[in-house]
Amino acid sequence: MWDSLLTWMTGTFLNPAMLGFLGLIPVIILFYILKLKRTAIEIPSTLLWQKSLQDLTANAPFQRLRKNLLLFLQMLILLLIAIALARPYIQALGRSGVSACLLIDRSASMSAREADGRTRLDMAKDRALQMIDQMGGGDTMMIVTFAENSDVLCEKIDDRTRLRAIVRAIQPSQSRTNIRDAVMVAQSLMLAQSDMKLYIVSDGVIRDLAQIGAKMVNTSYVQVGETRDNAGIAAFSIREPFEGQGTRQAFALIHNESDKRLRSTLTLYFNDRAAAIEEIEVAPQADGQFVFALPNDESGLLRLDLDSKDALALDNRAWLTIRPRSAVKTLLVGPGNSTNAVFLKRALSLDPRVELSAVEFADYVVNDEFDLTIFDNVAPEEIPYGASVFINVAPPVSDFELSDETIEQPLIVSQDREHPVMRFLVMENVGIAKARKMTLPEGARALATTTASPLIADLSDPDHQILVIGFDIAESNWPMRLSFPLFMQNLLSWTPRMTAAGGETVNTGRPITIMPEEGLDTVTVKTPDGRSETVKLDPSRPSYFGQTEIAGPYIVQYGEFKEIEHAVNLLDRQESSITPTEALQFGRLIAPAEKDNIMQNKELWPWFLIAALVILALEWYIYSRRAWL
Amino acid sequence: MTTSRTTAIPTAEPRRKGGPLLDADFLRRLERLAIWAKKVHLGAQKGERKSKRKGASTEFADYREYVQGDDLRHVDWNIYGRLDALYLKMFLEYEDLTCHLLIDGSQSMTFGAPSKYRFAIQMAAAIGYVALAGYDRVAVEIFNGREVQRLSPIRGKASAGKLFQFLENASPGGETYLGDACRNSVIRNRSKGLAILLSDFFDPEGYEEPLRRLLQTRSDIYGIHVMAPEEIEPDLSGDLKLVDSETASEVEISVSRALLKRYRKNRDGFCESIRRYCVARGIGYFPVSSDMPIDRLTLDVLRRGGMMR
Repeated sequence: MWDSLLTWMTGTFLNPAMLGFLGLIPVIILFYILKLKRTAIEIPSTLLWQKSLQDLTANAPFQRLRKNLLLFLQMLILLLIAIALARPYIQALGRSGVSACLLIDRSASMSAREADGRTRLDMAKDRALQMIDQMGGGDTMMIVTFAENSDVLCEKIDDRTRLRAIVRAIQPSQSRTNIRDAVMVAQSLMLAQSDMKLYIVSDGVIRDLAQIGAKMVNTSYVQVGETRDNAGIAAFSIREPFEGQGTRQAFALIHNESDKRLRSTLTLYFNDRAAAIEEIEVAPQADGQFVFALPNDESGLLRLDLDSKDALALDNRAWLTIRPRSAVKTLLVGPGNSTNAVFLKRALSLDPRVELSAVEFADYVVNDEFDLTIFDNVAPEEIPYGASVFINVAPPVSDFELSDETIEQPLIVSQDREHPVMRFLVMENVGIAKARKMTLPEGARALATTTASPLIADLSDPDHQILVIGFDIAESNWPMRLSFPLFMQNLLSWTPRMTAAGGETVNTGRPITIMPEEGLDTVTVKTPDGRSETVKLDPSRPSYFGQTEIAGPYIVQYGEFKEIEHAVNLLDRQESSITPTEALQFGRLIAPAEKDNIMQNKELWPWFLIAALVILALEWYIYSRRAWL
Repeated sequence: MTTSRTTAIPTAEPRRKGGPLLDADFLRRLERLAIWAKKVHLGAQKGERKSKRKGASTEFADYREYVQGDDLRHVDWNIYGRLDALYLKMFLEYEDLTCHLLIDGSQSMTFGAPSKYRFAIQMAAAIGYVALAGYDRVAVEIFNGREVQRLSPIRGKASAGKLFQFLENASPGGETYLGDACRNSVIRNRSKGLAILLSDFFDPEGYEEPLRRLLQTRSDIYGIHVMAPEEIEPDLSGDLKLVDSETASEVEISVSRALLKRYRKNRDGFCESIRRYCVARGIGYFPVSSDMPIDRLTLDVLRRGGMMR
């Protein structure tokens, strides 16, 4: 019985120990008894008073009660104050033994400042702290943060002090949102513990929501933030001159998320010197494209500043490094006179970076010299180093299957525009005579999908970059479309050498690729916030530097004389679109935004205190005016 | 004058509020008054009042037949000569009136500012002085519980000093037993006349008994009901324990508006019930407050009430 009473008390009060003040009730009764020692006054005769008192008490109903009214009121006041101190609450986090998993979004969009001056992350942290406050005895909590990368900050602990410290220590990230890993971690735990509840504390600007399965039961979406006042640089890149004619151009895509028309200036700096200024205007909730002609082919650091005072500051600046053009060694393996070879050679020769070689499959030996190897209808025993593309043939990758069953006139229904190879491609107008059905292994990424099967897939593993095209190019009109040469260009940029060369930009949170350098064991990376990190090099393969949470130029120092700058940018249209999502959709499941009502354990103590004060005032009134006595 | 000398006597009476009982000027004015007796009573000595007794004055009163034993000196021989019958000629007798001043000297009378007791003896002094000045006899009894302080009947203005001294020197105290006191008084004093009871009538046994006892004497009865201003309008607040000054019985009250209202109603009811009782029995009733000026009371209220003229 005591156990159930104790459970009830901990379930009703946050601070049940304060109910101990009820022990003061006997003291009040004692005071009341003591208080009855009235002032004695001698009067000539009590005759009239006695009679008056008799009359009065005879006429007053409940006079016994009234005699003690003040006592009752005082006890009531004490009761109310004790209850108030015990902090009663309704709508508890849960009964004992419930565990919650908090996925806290700390991505770039969470750095947006709301009207009250707090960032969304501050709000999210407050909500998390609130939830920790509301934890009951035996409740556990797990905290995972996610941005580009996910971090499990703690696993199912019930120590509220530690949980608070963990939440307070969460720092904002300048990277994109990638919830998939966080959800996978949480779900793996949910399998073990089915009563765990998942809370996604976020503004709902989540890029890869579609990639989360539909198994998101028991999930609440705790939404923070409401502003949409933001404009940002969504893309910043270098365009190579077509067929080597003319100079390079810098391309910028400005996204205006706010409801107001954006009027601002865009300033381009080259090695910290202003190179171009442009007055820009972008319609509300639209994109604007701006192109700057670069004066020369010199290498250096480009910086683009958007002069906009908005909620999210970190997308108003972007960097880009310009390198001397370096050749991409490309090898075409396959029948040299096939239609495919003709198309590929033509497309590749458009790019001045390409140093193209072709070899018949019979003469091919696997070597690591080439940055890009294209296998046209032939597959080697072993995959070479670098990037490899397999056209209409299955690479030697386990679990991958390219069946002989074909799909006639397949229709491309979706494509992954996030993948670097697929950027700026419009595939809908590509007609294909027949394609082969593909079965992808775990971890593979479908880049283009028909109604029946993936069409183009990325099968990359840590050592190789592998792309499979599931149809014969010659049996399609793709080479006639604009998307084909663009695809080839993207392919070249995707190769490890080009990525490492830093012609493009790396997203915050993604690793910088560092190519091995002869005679060097380590390189030093200088980050934009002034830190220096040493990275060990592997002579046989590229190394990676992953601590790129902050946007800006990262300088990789190869010994004393050589250094390469890498631009790390947010450059994400979706993160710049900071409008909070009202509901998260996981497959068919929709988790609506729970803004205030969720978990908002209403503490009732103010009401009890007010009631106590009112009764105190009443008691004073009765005492002083004797209204009833 | 004797009176002024007497009133100037300093006394050690602790409850005395200082000053003479009555000042000389007031006494002079009192001399013009006389006690008005509604009935004609038998007196003890010759006085200035018509007596029931037929006596030796020159004023003719009546005739009556002679009966054996009558003084032959009073036979009207002229009538005998004419009618051959013996008739006695009777003349009016002028005698004095005995004025009994009965003062409640219980503890409850010592309250009030000015104290009810002080006020009562002042009134007694005034009435007594008027009586003495009118050649009436004055007897005073002060009741202290079961005890009685008594001043035997005195007469003549010259005795005023004695009266004042007695009043000044008497001390109050004890409980109220007005009923018993009046009964004893009536038994002791057979002489009729005037009986004036000065009291607050706070007798647990009721005010009826003493008045009824006094009525038995067939005297003219007056009841002077002395109340202190504090009793008329009590100035109390808060939680109090009221202790009866005589019986030490306690009443716990929490002063409230309702209680005060009820008290006033009871106070008025108390006075009214005494008044009705008195009126029904031909008793003169004077409710007075102890802060009332003594001269106004005597010269105005008592005169208008028919006690003096």
